[in-house]
Amino acid sequence: MKPGWILICVLWLVAAGTGAWMVANYDNTPSGSGETPQQWPVASQVDFQRNQPVLVMFAHRECPCTRASIGELNRLMVQCGGKVAAHVVFVEYDDLPKDGTQSALWKSAAGISGVQVRRDPGGQEARRFGAESSGYVVLYDSKGQLLFNGGITSARGHAGDNAGENAIVALLSGRETPLAQTPVFGCGLWDQTELAAKQP
Amino acid sequence: MNPILQEVLRCPRAASARTAELFEATQQAIFQHTDRLFARLMLWQWLAAVAAAIFIAPLTWSGTQSQLHVHVLAAVFLGGLITALPVFLAITQPRTVMTRHVVAIGQMLMSALLIHLTGGRIETHFHVFGSLAILAFYRDWRVLMSASLVVVVDHLLRGILWPQSVYGVTTAPVWRSLEHGWWVVFEVTFLIVSIRKSLGETLNIAERQAELEAVNAGIERKVNERTAELTREVAERRQAEENLKQSEAQLAKAQRIASLGSWEWDILQDKILWSEETRRLYGFTAEDHGSEIARCIDRVHPDDRQSVHDALATSAQSGQPYSCDHRVILPDGTIRIMRGIGEVLLDASGKPVKIIGTTQDITKTKIAEEALRQSEEQLRQSQKMEAVGRLAGGVAHDFNNLLTVINGYCAMSMQQMEAHSPLRRNAEEILKAAERAASLTSQLLAFSRKQVLQPKVLNLNEVIGSMEKMLRRLIGEDIELSAVREAGLGHIKADPGQIEQVILNMAVNARDAMPRGGKLILRTSNVSLDLKTSFRSNRSLDVGDYVMLAISDTGVGMTEEVKAHLFEPFFTTKGVGRGTGLGLATCYGIVRQSNGDIGVYSEVNSGTTFKIYLPRADAPASTGTRAPDANVLPNGTESVLIVEDEPAVRTLSASVLRKCGYQVHEACDAVDALGKIQELPLDIVITDVVMPRMSGKELYDHLKATLPDMKVLFMSGYTDDALAHHGVLAPDMAFLEKPFSPARLARKVREVLDGAMGAHPLRSVTDDERFQSTVAEGPLENANLPQ
Repeated sequence: MKPGWILICVLWLVAAGTGAWMVANYDNTPSGSGETPQQWPVASQVDFQRNQPVLVMFAHRECPCTRASIGELNRLMVQCGGKVAAHVVFVEYDDLPKDGTQSALWKSAAGISGVQVRRDPGGQEARRFGAESSGYVVLYDSKGQLLFNGGITSARGHAGDNAGENAIVALLSGRETPLAQTPVFGCGLWDQTELAAKQP
Repeated sequence: MNPILQEVLRCPRAASARTAELFEATQQAIFQHTDRLFARLMLWQWLAAVAAAIFIAPLTWSGTQSQLHVHVLAAVFLGGLITALPVFLAITQPRTVMTRHVVAIGQMLMSALLIHLTGGRIETHFHVFGSLAILAFYRDWRVLMSASLVVVVDHLLRGILWPQSVYGVTTAPVWRSLEHGWWVVFEVTFLIVSIRKSLGETLNIAERQAELEAVNAGIERKVNERTAELTREVAERRQAEENLKQSEAQLAKAQRIASLGSWEWDILQDKILWSEETRRLYGFTAEDHGSEIARCIDRVHPDDRQSVHDALATSAQSGQPYSCDHRVILPDGTIRIMRGIGEVLLDASGKPVKIIGTTQDITKTKIAEEALRQSEEQLRQSQKMEAVGRLAGGVAHDFNNLLTVINGYCAMSMQQMEAHSPLRRNAEEILKAAERAASLTSQLLAFSRKQVLQPKVLNLNEVIGSMEKMLRRLIGEDIELSAVREAGLGHIKADPGQIEQVILNMAVNARDAMPRGGKLILRTSNVSLDLKTSFRSNRSLDVGDYVMLAISDTGVGMTEEVKAHLFEPFFTTKGVGRGTGLGLATCYGIVRQSNGDIGVYSEVNSGTTFKIYLPRADAPASTGTRAPDANVLPNGTESVLIVEDEPAVRTLSASVLRKCGYQVHEACDAVDALGKIQELPLDIVITDVVMPRMSGKELYDHLKATLPDMKVLFMSGYTDDALAHHGVLAPDMAFLEKPFSPARLARKVREVLDGAMGAHPLRSVTDDERFQSTVAEGPLENANLPQ
């Protein structure tokens, strides 16, 4: 084998590894999250039953990463169906005239047993719960006390076992879990300008 | 040796070079095929990755703002980067180790990318296992190692860097990475086992292929050898066939040259096969090949069929060799003489089954045999004639000397007698008897062709004309004589006296054949003999122009037996005392001595025709002058030397010439003469020819050398070719034939002295003389001449 070819192969391997690292780094870089109230917000329009915990997922109807979060929610509901009242709230934007109920994510979420899907015009509910990224999940117990907040995917758009989901299952199963917050991987719910304005 | 092959060949068996070559070729083909497979597969994967990225995550959002998703960019650029080098190497450098490992690494990187692009779906992880299975197509476990290494490194790095993306937890032990890689190892293990088994099968196939090739090579070598042998055999067979054809052609040519054909008769099937020459000899056509024996016998001359049939039947029954001469009548009517011979083939039981033989055209041989027989007969006849001639010559020499003396003294005695003396009649009878004896001696010399001829150019018509009167008297009034003379008849060169003798003899025979009268016709004509007429007449004449004299009578004719012996001396059909049997023999001898021939055509009770053929001469005819009939002897005073060993003849001749006034000298032989010639003034030498010690011819030659002007006169009754060649005397020689009369001696001496000997015939006779001698078959000389 000629040294030139070896060099080319090494460079190719380095380039490919670097690219893969960059993609992986992107996928594994968490999105931002806001301040989530420890008590269920009174002003929230999301139904809150006092008889069971409530799980709310905030989602951007166009976010491809949220497809994995919906999938994980589906798995979670399979495991914990009946133990939690689950809601998926899709933020509605005025600049996106398309009917949000016709998006693939809406239909996926609506198809999960035990999950209620609702629109969040202007993102009021999302702001109320401090959600900044699509796929952001909050879990309150039947008393309105925050149990968990964060993402239920291990990386951006990455399905499979993840710490958030495991923590929720444990909480809903009544087991102790040290993990009450996980990073969230998803598209931002707010425009960059708005996020920049929030920056201190 | 191929390292993979070395691994496969852990057992002690050794691969042949051809097996290794085939194994290597198979592997290279697999490598190339798999390289191309991955080149296509990776291109499709790349496009699929881009499509999946666009489908799954085309955009990334931030509120209402969106931008192209990183996955799409990764699919396009990172996917393109990962795909580019393996595809390039697979296309440009297939079958190389580097290409295979780059393909394996690239394929695993593409699996990782796809897993990323599909959000880590568990289904997408099967791409890893599928890729490993496809990489196993290379049948190179090292490739699987490279691919596995990528998987392990990927999981290790990601487990370290982003454990939650792999294990779902933020912290995980290293063995978790090994847990993920275990399944890869699990598959790779079985793939390696499968690869080893596949390589073993490939090796077996290579070995079988090598063996098959070796067998095929052996077969091909055998085929080539056999083909070469066949080619050589075919060439040899063609050469043999060519040689056989040439041999057959030579045999056919030889048969044609020899007029010898072969045949084979199948006795049991009655089929006969013959060669081309046999077919030609019997006049059959090509369609007649294989005819029955009966058809062949049909071609045989009817007179010979029975003998041929009997000969064949005898051979077919007894097994004895077949031999039979027979005639064959060809379709054109030609008759040929064939000689058939053959051998009989017997079967195991000794029964004749075939006759194989030859047939030869022996017509020419038969003709030659007949000619030989005739030649032998002629030789015997010639020998007989030679014996008779020698006898006649021996007798003639002495007898003519005696007759000369008798004639001479008798004539001289008569001159001294009174006219009415009673002794004169006695002397005349003695003279007649002596002359008849001389004639008989002359005929003996004539038929034995020993007489001396002095040929001259003659016109036969003139000869006949001069004899016509004499002939009429000879044949009598009961026989009508007619002469048909062809105008423009050619000349002949012959002794005129001898020719007249022939005509007279023929006329006498014709007269005797017509005792009750009839016709005698003399006819002359010019004839030309060519090969055809010469062959048919069976004469011993050369081809050329002849003058023919036909002497025909209407007499009793002759039988074949008589004709067969007609010209034999002493053969006569006349009664005792009527003929000597020398007439026709004399004629035949004269004509043959003149280079002619006599043909005889006769039918009993119808008549006979003799045809005398004499060569035509182109020279003008001679004008002969007869000797004067006067009884006066010419005189002279010249000096004469007589050379003669016979004293009586010498004395007589000297006496005659002295009476004529000559000065005569005598010599007892040629040696004696030589001495006297030197001493005496001589004008002429008269010499005998046959003498002891020295012949007259030798004396003549001596005189020609020493005294070329000396005149010489030969006298002899028999020369034994001493003077003449085949009896024909040279024109410049003077000759006096014994017996001679005193008058002839005197006149001949005078002629020679006067230098006129070349213009005179040696013998001068009158018609009456010839008439007398012919009738009586006696002497030609007239006893009444010089008294």
